[in-house]
Amino acid sequence: MKRLSFALLSMVLGTAASAQQPAATVIEIPPLTSPDTGTKGNEMLQIGWEATQLIASDLSQTSVLMPLRPKREDYVSYPEVTAPSFGKWRPLGAKVLLTGFVQSRSDGRIAIGCYVYDASKGAELARKGFVLPRSDWRRAAHKCSALAYTAVTGSPGTFDTRIAYVAESGVGDAKVRRIAIMDNDGHNHKFVTAGDSIVLKPRLSPNASRLAYVSFADKEPKIDLVDLGSGQQRPLLQTDAINFAPRFSPDGSRIAFSMMLGPNSDIYVVGASGGPAQRLTTSPGIDTDPSFSPDAGKIVFESDRSGSQQLYVMNADGSNERRISFGAGAYASPEWSPDGQWIAFTHRDQYGRRVGIMRPDGTGERLLTGGPGDDSPSWGASSRDLLFARLIAPGRSAIYRIGVDGGQPHEVTIPQDGSDPDWSGAMD
Amino acid sequence: MRKTLIMLALALSATGAQAQILPFLSKRDPAVPVLQGIDSLRADFAAQSGGTTIYYGADSALLSAPAKALLSAQAAWIRRHPEIVVRIEGYGDTGDTRDHALAVGAERAENARDYLVLLGVPAAQVSTTSWGSERSGLGRAVTVLVR
Repeated sequence: MKRLSFALLSMVLGTAASAQQPAATVIEIPPLTSPDTGTKGNEMLQIGWEATQLIASDLSQTSVLMPLRPKREDYVSYPEVTAPSFGKWRPLGAKVLLTGFVQSRSDGRIAIGCYVYDASKGAELARKGFVLPRSDWRRAAHKCSALAYTAVTGSPGTFDTRIAYVAESGVGDAKVRRIAIMDNDGHNHKFVTAGDSIVLKPRLSPNASRLAYVSFADKEPKIDLVDLGSGQQRPLLQTDAINFAPRFSPDGSRIAFSMMLGPNSDIYVVGASGGPAQRLTTSPGIDTDPSFSPDAGKIVFESDRSGSQQLYVMNADGSNERRISFGAGAYASPEWSPDGQWIAFTHRDQYGRRVGIMRPDGTGERLLTGGPGDDSPSWGASSRDLLFARLIAPGRSAIYRIGVDGGQPHEVTIPQDGSDPDWSGAMD
Repeated sequence: MRKTLIMLALALSATGAQAQILPFLSKRDPAVPVLQGIDSLRADFAAQSGGTTIYYGADSALLSAPAKALLSAQAAWIRRHPEIVVRIEGYGDTGDTRDHALAVGAERAENARDYLVLLGVPAAQVSTTSWGSERSGLGRAVTVLVR
């Protein structure tokens, strides 16, 4: 009897699992080849082999694609990059094939080309080429991963993106906090601030070229803006008023934020390169955490005007405010997904803080994490994955990643403790 | 940093005044404190006002009757010390999200400041800030003597 019920249970689970997560598409990635010969050729083949392994590693972290383990002996010739012999890969179960090359250029840079094919139909799905400094080959590899991911799913991948967060060491009032930034895969980890003042809530521009964050360097919370290329830094506003909760518009040209005018926090918007700030909300409650819709036409934000924190959507000019969250407890820190379909939020009740999602009209609400100290969700470019901060011990937090389709959150590897994650869109 | 150095120098001069007579101290009348240390001013402020800390209800920035009584006493002291500038530092609540906590702390500080101004303290003498939930001391606002 016991065995029977177990068998039934596994059948039920099996069905549910397969309905939720369709089998991953198998992709074959023969080592990227090179048209170059001699020493140059060997160098390019070595970059190609490392890029191949990186692409496979990128794609193996998705639930959509399953790369076959790259093998050096699967080497293809340069002409085969654009005219692959599909018959070779079909028996291995590969539905998708990714070929590519690495070529040295006379200016010292390298060219990397990638081609994605439907292996069963023998048809090309996508191709893309990149010219970049040799040391930047990882970025081209991430772009190739994104090319394959987009060809199969239709949505952008998170491979060539950056993550900003607050790196923390120590606990309590002695905690040292620095804004840190890294590639999505953990490479190129850098600190943006020195740790001499409290910093909060870094927000990357969509292409990760600029960063806004809140600093207490001026004795009160104010937004600073950094150009990550030049390192140039300036306050967003020339004002004595407390300002915080910045977020870039989808094209990076504007920043929405909160500012205190007396005992009242309202939402404003200002040009990212300066100009006068425009006030969007006027309620006597605390309005904060604005986030633009991907078409920049609307803004979701939180307000406690009803007595508790709830989510509201308004037009980007401040008109037509309407409440979208009506469940028990408080709803905070909303972020609109890049595909426009979902709004992620932090939910607070007697069980603590948990991360959830709902449709922009307030329907389809669902909590994704178990708490009790989860907050600050930030969407990946795929609109399938979120980063969030989780309390792991009193006063200490770590950054986790979770897929919206289910599954357990995974801790993101960072050198120290971390909070306030922000995930950029794909870089240019 | 500069402020810290000056305060350090003052602390040193207070203890070692007899040993090494500093010229700028020796010229003044020792009976009147030349530069009353900020620490003793703070102690006097806390003792005369009955406290530096105003407590609030959860997720509220409203001033209770005891809070108003304390602020009245603080206002009386601050009006007697026009040379002193104070900063009210507001804090959010435990478990709140960062940005809401920042705003709640700022509201608490602003409401306390407005009450002091209502009682005749010149607005220029009081500034405000918020620590949100970024420092220990949640659920309150503290009046800090700056100088």
